[in-house]
Amino acid sequence: MNEMTELERFRSDVPELGMADVRAEERRLLSVLQDTARRPERPTARAPRRAPRRHRLRIGLAGAGLAAAAVAAGAVVVTTGGDPEPSPIVHTMPVASVQVLERAADNAARTQELHPKPGQFLVFESRSMNPVEGSTGGHEERYLERTKSKTWLPVEGHSTRGVAQVEVLAPKPYPGWPIPPEARRKVGWSAPERIGGVDNRAEHLRNDYAYLSRLPADPAKMYQHLYTGLGTGPQADVVAWQNVGNMLSDAYMPAAQRAALFRAAGAIHGVTTVGHAVDAAGRTGVAVALTTPDSGIRDEYIFDEDTYQYLGQRVVVTNAAQGGAPVGTVLTNSAQLKVSVADRAPAVD
Amino acid sequence: MSESREVDADDASVIERSRREPEAFAEVFRRYAPDIKRYVMRRLGADAAEDVVAETFLAAFRQRDRYDLTRANARPWLYGIATNLMGRHVRTEVQQLRVLERMGTDPVMASFTERSDERLSAAASRRALAGALARLPAGHRDALLLVAWGDLSYTEAAQALNVRVGTVRSRINRARTKLRKQLGATPSVNFVCEEPVHE
Repeated sequence: MNEMTELERFRSDVPELGMADVRAEERRLLSVLQDTARRPERPTARAPRRAPRRHRLRIGLAGAGLAAAAVAAGAVVVTTGGDPEPSPIVHTMPVASVQVLERAADNAARTQELHPKPGQFLVFESRSMNPVEGSTGGHEERYLERTKSKTWLPVEGHSTRGVAQVEVLAPKPYPGWPIPPEARRKVGWSAPERIGGVDNRAEHLRNDYAYLSRLPADPAKMYQHLYTGLGTGPQADVVAWQNVGNMLSDAYMPAAQRAALFRAAGAIHGVTTVGHAVDAAGRTGVAVALTTPDSGIRDEYIFDEDTYQYLGQRVVVTNAAQGGAPVGTVLTNSAQLKVSVADRAPAVD
Repeated sequence: MSESREVDADDASVIERSRREPEAFAEVFRRYAPDIKRYVMRRLGADAAEDVVAETFLAAFRQRDRYDLTRANARPWLYGIATNLMGRHVRTEVQQLRVLERMGTDPVMASFTERSDERLSAAASRRALAGALARLPAGHRDALLLVAWGDLSYTEAAQALNVRVGTVRSRINRARTKLRKQLGATPSVNFVCEEPVHE
């Protein structure tokens, strides 16, 4: 038998697959396709380099290697639909902390607390900057879109029932690319619009107030919540860290949960203080970050240096070749300016 | 968005359309995801496959503007992206091959084989083959497996790996020679002439 025949037989027992075996992957793709299609104001826009909030339903246990393979032995091979199965891995919060996040936890109760009630709306005023990659007439273009927005989100339930009013601000150049004239024409206010769309997030990724206020106020349990459905290793840490960001951006929770969240976040392996950072509204704070392995970027969350209040988030390039822009380039940036409570959202058509 | 439009269209036209209608990209997924997932499973096992496959199509979607529309068939492009992403797992891949070589049990096949006695009875030739695959430089293993398991032609493998066809040919020839040598060797010799892994 020659070596190619031997090779063709090697692991040939891996079964042939059909569409039913790739449903989880399909869901992840479709949610991005729908997100991209839903932005009518820029029909040629590409998906951002990295969606600011990625809803990853389940992550492979690649880093766990052989241990994971052993756990999977005899189990069903491919997940076909439904929510992620509970992970057999127990996530014990390590004894680790980041001073900025400890201080943020200590100070969580010092701001005036909001007490939104069911039926009301939380109103978030924010600024953000996101890369837009597109093409007009076969001409590739890239720039940084800046917006100022006011978002009304229901106290209970999905953000798809919320309303947003967006003002497009003057765009900024993406390093090395001219600003396309099209981008400047979009500057201005838009009428309030229903956020709409489909929210097919798993239950544990909800970030409405009603859900967040029911989360444990114990840091170790909050840590487990951040790792729901995840394996171990650097990829899992990145997703857990992004879950933190998802609970901070356009989200509000009681001080007790917020304190637990900051302590749990500080225990995620690899999280470090990276120094000063300026948020999308020009406010300087101190940033804590986690670098995504092999992608050349890091996710930063910025806190006020005096009050340790959460200010905003950035994605910054740490490796030019992998990140696709010079080191230090700020790819996305946001600022949370104000959170308040309203009885109703503006009427929309 | 009529179905008939999608059935006949080649990959390049579907990708071109997805630049205006992002949701059209779902058709590219339907055409290739099951095959690519099986390929990734065969190299890395079921655990890593879901993430690699999901990331492959997300990356492809983000890069669809850079797709060369003169290439009607997107298969090499997608296998190339998957190969890049699998590069993050090269350590796991090599470790699993080495477990098979040394212990005779294949971690990758653990979830597919129900009877443990089947797993235990790997033939000496399979163990030798696993050892040889583990010792190949990653780029040589990629070229060899794209052709042997991914059913890509040499030209397509060259497109996938972004190298010249001549490079693919020489990588595969060298890889095959090493495999042949290893398969001819006795198991005891295998353990003695272990070389460092090139990662």
